[in-house]
Amino acid sequence: MANFRRFRPDDLNKLSKCNLDPLTETYELSFYLQYYAKWPSLFQVAEDENGNIIGYIMGKLESSPDVYKFSEHYLPWHAHITAVTVAPEARRLGIGKLLTEQLEAAGDAGNAWFVDLFVRKTNCKAIKFYESMGYSIFRVVKEYYGDHSTDPTQDSEDAYDMRKPLKRDVKKEHIRADGEKHEVDPTDVW
Amino acid sequence: MAYNRYRYGPPALKSSVDVQLQSAFSDGNWSAVIRLAAKRFATLKDPYYEAIRVSTEAQLQGTAEKCAVLVHVDELVRSKKTPDIDTLDLYEWACQDFIGYEIDFAETFGPLRARWVKANASSPMASSCLQGCLEQWDLVSAQQIAATLDKTYANTTDRRYMFWNITLTFLLSISPQCTEASRKVYSLLTVRQLQKAADITENSEKLEKTDRGLLTEEEVCLYYRVLLSHGTKEEFLARLRSPKLGAISQLKQGHKLLFCECLDALETWGEWDTIYELCRDALKLGLDGSTTPFFVCDLRIWKMFVSRALDEVQEVLKQFIELKDKATPMYKKNISLALLETTFKLPSTTINPDHEDTALSPKVVQIGLFLDQYYERFAAFDDVKGYVAELGYEEAKTFLEDVLPKIPGENPTKAQQIIIKALECRLRYTLTTCPQTLSPHPTVVEGTDQGKPFQCRVCSNLAKSPCEGCLRKLIIDAADAHRQITSDKELLAAIPKLDRDPRLDLALVMGNSLLKLSGLRPGLPNFGQSLWQDVQPDILLQAVLLLDTQLKVTPNDNGLRLLLVQLYLLFGCASYAHQLWAPLDVKRTIQDALSPLFFDRISSISPGLFQGTRPLMEPLRAYYTQSLRDPSPVRIWDAFSSGSYTSILDMAEYDKKLRTSCTLVMTLVEERRATRLFGGKLDVDIDDHILASESPADIVEDTTLVHKTDYGSFPSLESANGPPIQEFIRLGPGPSQYLDLLTYTPPKDYKPSKAAEAAARDKAYALETLTRINTSLTDLLHKPSTPKLLTPAETNYYTALSLLSALVLTAISLPKSETSVPKIVSQTTQPLKTTLTTLRTGLLSPKSTVPATTQQAISSLCDMPSFASVRDVAFAVKLSAAFVLSHHEKETARDKSGKSGLHKEVVAEMKALESAAAKTLGEAKGHVGVLKGVMNESGWLDKLLDVVLGEEDREMGELTEKVSEIVEGRGGAEEWAGKVVDGWREGVKGWGMVKFE
Ligand SMILES: CC(C)(COP(=O)(O)OP(=O)(O)OC[C@H]1O[C@@H](n2cnc3c(N)ncnc32)[C@H](O)[C@@H]1OP(=O)(O)O)[C@@H](O)C(=O)NCCC(=O)NCCS
Repeated sequence: MANFRRFRPDDLNKLSKCNLDPLTETYELSFYLQYYAKWPSLFQVAEDENGNIIGYIMGKLESSPDVYKFSEHYLPWHAHITAVTVAPEARRLGIGKLLTEQLEAAGDAGNAWFVDLFVRKTNCKAIKFYESMGYSIFRVVKEYYGDHSTDPTQDSEDAYDMRKPLKRDVKKEHIRADGEKHEVDPTDVW
Repeated sequence: MAYNRYRYGPPALKSSVDVQLQSAFSDGNWSAVIRLAAKRFATLKDPYYEAIRVSTEAQLQGTAEKCAVLVHVDELVRSKKTPDIDTLDLYEWACQDFIGYEIDFAETFGPLRARWVKANASSPMASSCLQGCLEQWDLVSAQQIAATLDKTYANTTDRRYMFWNITLTFLLSISPQCTEASRKVYSLLTVRQLQKAADITENSEKLEKTDRGLLTEEEVCLYYRVLLSHGTKEEFLARLRSPKLGAISQLKQGHKLLFCECLDALETWGEWDTIYELCRDALKLGLDGSTTPFFVCDLRIWKMFVSRALDEVQEVLKQFIELKDKATPMYKKNISLALLETTFKLPSTTINPDHEDTALSPKVVQIGLFLDQYYERFAAFDDVKGYVAELGYEEAKTFLEDVLPKIPGENPTKAQQIIIKALECRLRYTLTTCPQTLSPHPTVVEGTDQGKPFQCRVCSNLAKSPCEGCLRKLIIDAADAHRQITSDKELLAAIPKLDRDPRLDLALVMGNSLLKLSGLRPGLPNFGQSLWQDVQPDILLQAVLLLDTQLKVTPNDNGLRLLLVQLYLLFGCASYAHQLWAPLDVKRTIQDALSPLFFDRISSISPGLFQGTRPLMEPLRAYYTQSLRDPSPVRIWDAFSSGSYTSILDMAEYDKKLRTSCTLVMTLVEERRATRLFGGKLDVDIDDHILASESPADIVEDTTLVHKTDYGSFPSLESANGPPIQEFIRLGPGPSQYLDLLTYTPPKDYKPSKAAEAAARDKAYALETLTRINTSLTDLLHKPSTPKLLTPAETNYYTALSLLSALVLTAISLPKSETSVPKIVSQTTQPLKTTLTTLRTGLLSPKSTVPATTQQAISSLCDMPSFASVRDVAFAVKLSAAFVLSHHEKETARDKSGKSGLHKEVVAEMKALESAAAKTLGEAKGHVGVLKGVMNESGWLDKLLDVVLGEEDREMGELTEKVSEIVEGRGGAEEWAGKVVDGWREGVKGWGMVKFE
């Protein structure tokens, strides 16, 4: 039912199974293409027999910009999951996990310290998904999202910044047990 | 609009410039800058200050000052001297509004930058010059710069210079930016460079970063892309098997891209032997530990691999089956599907020599085994649909009757039973689209054609395809199952825990069956002319009512929602379709593929939608403006600087397609059509912005527009034997008919100048435009593919335009003194008059009196696209006649000698046309008035419900009864009827705002 391969721009015409799902954000063209241009091997898709995209992950490998070198929030060389999504019909088959593992492997190959990502605090499914793979909350970014996914009366929502240490972090220095207690502002994440 | 490097401000001045001038410059205090720069130039004699002055003057409003910089640039180009880089930056900033218009980057700044880099190759500024050329998509200069850089940095650890050079040479070899002859040279050059690099890799023990071989995955894949484009197949195949650069060796290094791309190429060549071997070797890598076990366990690979009925296949598959327990569910499933696929590929005698003809064949058994594991999963139906459709009739019967019901085991839960029932109904529907369920039968019985050329093997009745008897039975069975669920609390409580709501599947079966029964067919001959000539409205509306009722239960099912959006558009209920469309939140990038599902032909269905507070097409327009703003592909420099060579090629290709996207043209056309309907002025902005880099004429004449509508989310119950459901419900052919209108400027857009001396120029302009319109329309109409792309209403419209342009052309060029009027006049006026009459009588007259029945009113409401074409044709005739007649009046007034002006007969013909058009328009307006009146009558809800569910005191047919049960009778359907009627009323209200005179 599925093939795994690298993303190619034509896939943008085949996203409906994933992107019509409300929890999957649709971006401007330049956003997708920036990832495809800079980190093509970290942009992977799962397609069905008819060429429809039924899952994808978009990620990058970087550290915080040099200007923040001395900030307490500076992030050393790490992999970041910008988007991961699986079409409703293809969920719970391990596709999300396979895509994420690929990114983790690339992170290890690139000698990154950890993988991180942001997830809406109310997106329980996704949080469970990440936890099942060994991710934990590192910090809470207050009002990171400009809208709320479940409560229309609110105009913002917190994010969890979740992390999983990679091989390089032998001493597990880049994760913490009480991440939920560490709150930061959106201006502290870049 | 051209690319603007300095969108966010001017370049920095040289640091040697004094503080006073620097700060005036950074404050944008241009008059001070001009004064100071002139002063500094006078004292220091440094031409840089002169450049500052000239560039700053270009910021002023006066045309003379603004353009002075162009002269300086021209001098620089001619001088052949190496320019100063800071001066270049200033000039480029000053010329930002001219690039792409008055000056061509590729003839000015591009070559200047290349010249500068040649002289300053090791400067860190050199890559930024490359970037500048790439951003303007000046490939010739970019390639020259890259070649210089490559020479300068050969054998350094930064390998990008070498591959920039190669990539750009390749891009040139396929680009219209250079001549055919140069393209040949460039292609040879690229192949040669890469072959050399490939040989270095193959022949060296260990490749160092400084070697000019192929090292990274991107470099290797670039080589294969170039080979594919410019090399020979033999070369490609040989390299594919090579020990270092071959696909298998790349897989061992964890690189899958090459493997996937090679399979694509081999597939197009039909190289099945190689495909088989590659897939086998790749799968074995997983077994022997050279890669992770399931690295290539994709369904595609399995399908290619098992296409061979060899023992080897069985052996490899067996080994994977043994590993299955360690696999993630996805791979497990792929392996199960591979097993199923093998069974279908092997000749039945091989797997089961004794039971060749039995119904319980190995194929049936394997489907059963697969479903044993997966029947409860969301995708189960899609997984097996294709296989079931391939079964012979007896096999299918056994499968449905004996195998499927037993799948949930001895004591199935109620939920499991209902899942099986829903699966069964869907598969039965699929089988109605398969030829093996019908046997041919003589259709002429006792001299009369029965119109039923088959006997259905399922129900034994004489049948058309699909068998209506089976569809009816299916609706009844599905309805009963649906009823069973809704009346059982236990089942209802179980639904949220299921992968998929079986009610949705049952509703889809019923809905699709009703759609087929209603008489809808793909591309009906009279499509658009009158849907209702061939389609029974009651049944069609029942389908919609039923599906709509289901959407309330499963509002998150996007497939169902999309289906309904298209259905509502089909019968003219656009504002309600829009309400259903909006929650899908189709925005930004996915608009290109998905927007046609709602917006295609929308202006002719419901122009009223364009009168909302937010311009209807604004998000689409914004998307294209943003994505196509620059001449270069979006983010292309990122790909260069990251060394992503295959990304560069794909991004360039994608950009090219986006610039010729059907959806882009649809956006322009729908807006323009709507504007015209409301009598507004046409805003040509968007083509100026987006299509500037390619002149619109290119798009009109030669370009094949790229049609990428994504139907991936549509529910698909059909087998591969027939067209998918979207072809049945689409309002006319897919969106590709938009070629002409881009250039079609209606005559009223000409601005006739009053000045006598301008008259000749005006006339020449008019003649030129008309000729262009005429040629392009005639070409369009004569293309063999065109009839398939247009609805009859559209054909009428374009034919009329083509005749009109010819007529106007003759009318204004025919000398008054001519004794014999050329035939072309009557050859065009006659068919025009006939068209007008046909349109009037055909569409309007039977319905322009108060519609006799509700059905008749409904037909009119659903027929708005045809109505739109009546209005458009009549309007075009009217405007053209008015244009010709006013030309005549002007000429007679200007030249009192009586020699100017038009031929008397022409004038008479034009007057006749004008009045015929006015009459038609008057009637069209009346038609809207009648519709409005009809829609304002009371009792519409009941009228509609009478059509859909039958009149209240009459007995319902069995099908209607079933539908009625599911929607909970008239009471339950009332809300729906209200929305439909409101939708129609809104639509008519919109038409009321359209201009008819
Ligand atoms: C989150 C998401 C990507 C998971 O994809 P998936 O392919 O279904 O996940 P997997 O099958 O790989 O799940 C791996 C494990 O994650 C956990 N998990 C996944 N979905 C879960 C759910 N809905 N509830 C609880 N746990 C879940 C399970 O432990 C699962 O293993 P199991 O199936 O063996 O129990 C998918 O649900 C999705 O696309 N959601 C919408 C988009 C989204 O929210 N993306 C994340 C934004 S940050």
